[in-house]
Parts: sequence; structure tokens; C-alpha cells
Amino acid sequence: MRTREGGRIVDEAAVIARVRAGDPEAYAELVRAHTGIALRAAAALGAGADAEDVVQQAFVKAYCALGRFRDGSAFKPWLLSIVANETRNTVRTAARQRTLAGREAAFAEAEPLIPESADPAVATLETERRAALLCALEKLSEEHRLVVTYRFLLEMDESETAQALGWPRGTVKSRLNRALRKMGRLLPDFEPREGGDGGE
Amino acid sequence: MTVVSEGRDGYGGEGGRRPGDTGGRGPHGRSGDRGPGAGSGPGAGPGWGPQGRARGQAQERGESRLPDELRALGRSLDAPEADGADGSLGSETMVERVLGQILAEHLAVPVAESRGPGERLRAVRRWARLRWRALTATLCGLLTVLALTPPVRAAVMDWFDFGGVEVRYDPSAVPSPGAEVPGCGRSVSLGQAGHRAGFEPLVPEALGAPDTVTVTDEPRGRFLVSLCWREGGRVVRLDEFPERLDPAFTKTLREQPEWIGLGGGPSADGVRDYALWFPRPHLLGFWLVDADGHRFTREVRTAGPTLLWTRRTGGEDVTLRLEGVMSKDRAVGIANSFEKQSGKSSK
Repeated sequence: MRTREGGRIVDEAAVIARVRAGDPEAYAELVRAHTGIALRAAAALGAGADAEDVVQQAFVKAYCALGRFRDGSAFKPWLLSIVANETRNTVRTAARQRTLAGREAAFAEAEPLIPESADPAVATLETERRAALLCALEKLSEEHRLVVTYRFLLEMDESETAQALGWPRGTVKSRLNRALRKMGRLLPDFEPREGGDGGE
Repeated sequence: MTVVSEGRDGYGGEGGRRPGDTGGRGPHGRSGDRGPGAGSGPGAGPGWGPQGRARGQAQERGESRLPDELRALGRSLDAPEADGADGSLGSETMVERVLGQILAEHLAVPVAESRGPGERLRAVRRWARLRWRALTATLCGLLTVLALTPPVRAAVMDWFDFGGVEVRYDPSAVPSPGAEVPGCGRSVSLGQAGHRAGFEPLVPEALGAPDTVTVTDEPRGRFLVSLCWREGGRVVRLDEFPERLDPAFTKTLREQPEWIGLGGGPSADGVRDYALWFPRPHLLGFWLVDADGHRFTREVRTAGPTLLWTRRTGGEDVTLRLEGVMSKDRAVGIANSFEKQSGKSSK
């Protein structure tokens, strides 16, 4: 499987084969390619300030478990399920299960650091809307929150989401539908963003 | 990596996004975000419209753009230093940390486990766990058939060409209890019977002259001679017929018959005579002639303990089946008493 990550083309199967053959530099390629999304996953799942440590641990665990990695499947969902697991463990051990406020704070913390000019989409996402989204996300059940997080916040496709969560694809689809409908009900109506919506 | 295309799931807003975009740090991933509705035109229509939900247009629009908003939210979580050219700074740090830990802890190279067979074994186990009941039943049935059929099949092979009696194995063939040996019906003389059947009926010395003798038509111009004796209200019956290729009788068994060597040593052609002893009641298939004497139908009745053997008489092999004698020893004795007599008569 070929993954396009950060402008690099990584032939996962070949790289994994090299890692298994005892080439740790090959593992560097996998880490390089997936650090971004892994950090985002950790943050989205509530790792907060521990995100980097969580991701490091996840990469090390993934390395140790790479012998059991099923050839032909995608590396990213597999890695992200390890990240999710690691996040859960960290959060649980530290008894720091983020409250809504805490998570919001974590999100808010990241926000100002993003230069608005670099990302118009993020820039136009109003702070209130953000808070409302987070609030709605928080109100979802665990399963619904997970499927929305994997599918949209982590931008995985349906089969990757299914692989990461270990659910059948149909389950992903139906839970995603229900979760989005629920979120739609939870979110206050709001005026369309300026421009761009003409096609709707 | 394929393009996500899920126009039918109602959230077509994500239209042409590449999932591998890693947060779309590069400018190329952005275009879809500017207009959340831009990619959702075809998908949003069928997804939302026909359902006719009593919801405001604004909310529907909000819902259909949710995926885009959520994606943007996800990207906003990306670490700030990842905003560089392609996030190399953040990921390089991570590479150093991870590789450093791997080396520091002397972690073993993750050798690929022989995943193929292992995985297959696991899959088989999972499959078996789900279906163990049916599997066990099937296996037991299979083992039973394997354990019981080969000897019986061998018997079928032997008797097919040999005695004109087919022996079949069928565990479901349940003989009815208390079945009696049918009598022979209207009697003819031994001489008449021999004339009609075309072979001299063999009469065992041990039983003496039969009480009744009948001749029955069999398919293909064959005749069956039956001799009956009454013994204390029960019938001892001896069926004799010239051995031909197609079986006249079919014995359907639930257990193997017993091979018995008949006394008298090897006969003239050097082949010792063998008999088959069926110790239990079993189902016996045989031919029955219609009233018009032409149509043959297959009938099945329950037969008791039976001895089956062949004998040569007048240049022809005759198959004999003795029914109604409960003791194997006595049945064999009757068959052997025949031996002497037929030896005499063939002279």
C-alpha cells in the first residue's frame, strides 16, 4: 500500500519489510510519515499536553508489535488504534480524563498558534462554533465520538476507520450517520459562513 | 490511497478529499474547505432531500457541512511546528525520540511472525468456535462412516459378482421387530421345482425333506427355489438361486456380517467355500412378481439371522440363503451337511 504523507510517498510494505529485516532507519520513515496524524489523534482523544509522550510510546509499541502487523493492511489505522489505546491508558493512569472544560482548554491552547493566514478554513471557524462543536462532540456516546473523531478529525476513510476501531464497515457507516445526525441536533443553527455556500 | 467517494451516504461534503493528507498541511489540501458546500452538491441532494425531515434548511445545511467543520477542527489540533514546509521539524524530533528509545532499550527487531499459517489457524479456530456443534456432529458422522464402511463395502464387492446378493451399509435401516420368516406358500414337488428352475434344488441333510417347495420367477428369466421347514411353529427357509451378475437380494445392514469358512476344505478348484453370517435382523430387498407374472417390483422386508453361501451344483453356481435358524453353529452345520450331499449328487 502506498501512502501519501507530508509530500512523501512511502511504500509501507517495503518499509515494514526493511524494519523487520533489522533496519531501524526504515522505521524512521514510518515515524516521519505518521507523526502528524498521530499527534492529532492523541490530541483529539484527549491526551492534551501528554500528546507527544503518548505518540512516542505508541510508536515504540508499534515497533515492538510490528512482527504481528498483518501484511497488506494499512499502517495508519493500525498505528492510530495503538495511539488511541496509549492515550486511554495515559489519561486513565493519570486520572486526568479530560472534562469538557479541560478538553476545550486544550483545543483553545492550540488555536492561537495557527496562523490564520495559512489556513483560511481554520481561520474562519469561529471560536463559538468551535466550542459548540466540541460541546456536541463531548455529548456524544463514546462510540459515536470515536467514529466521528477517526472519520473526520483524523480524516480517515471508512475502511481505515473500520480497521482502527475494529468494527465492520457497515457499523462504521451507520454509527457515523447517527452520530452526525445527533450532532446536527445538538448544534445550534448558525448562519452559513461568508461565501462559499452558494452552491448549496 | 484512494479518493474517498461516498456520495451516497449523505455526507458528500468530503467529496474529493484525500485521507492521507495529514491534516492538509500543504496548501494543496485546502481547496475543498473554502466552500463547505462546494463538494457536497450531488451528495447532499439525494442524501437529505427525499427524507423530508421536518427540519430547517439551515440545520440541514449545518449538518451536511459538519464533516468539513470537523475536519478543520481536527487540523487545528496539529502541532504548530508542523506548520512548516511539510511538518519535518515535529516529525524529525519524534523520529529521534522514538529511535533513541528503541536503541536505548535494545528492543528486538520485530521479526515477522509466520503470520500466514498463524493467522489462518486463528481464523480456523474462530470459525470452529462459532460452529463447534455442527462440526462435532459432522466429524462424528464422518468417523462412523469411515470406521464402518470399508469392510462392508468389501463385502459388497465380493458378493456383487459372486453370490448375486448385494450387501449394503445403511445405519438408518431399522428392521422392524418381531418379523417372522415368511412361509413358502403352495408347494410343488422337488422334481417339478428342479424342472422349472433349471437346476436341481439342494436339500441339506441336516434338515431332511422340506415341508414345502416353491419356485418364484425372478427378473431376467431367473428362478428362485425356496424350501421351507416348519420347526415348532417357526419357519426355516432356504432360498436357492443360480448366481448371476445382478443381485437378486439386497441386504441393508447396520453392522458388518461375519465371514465363516465352511468345512470340507478347499473344493476341487482350490477355493475354500465361505459363508456370510448375518447375526442380526436386517432389511432384505427382493423381487416380487405381479399377479400377471411379468412386472417385478422391489420389496423390502425384515429378515432375521441369515447364513449366505454358494454351492456348485450341476455345473452351475447356486447361491443359498438360509433364514430362520437362530444359531450360527446350527446354520453352519446345515450348510456343511449340504456339502456331503451335493458332493454325492454331483457324482
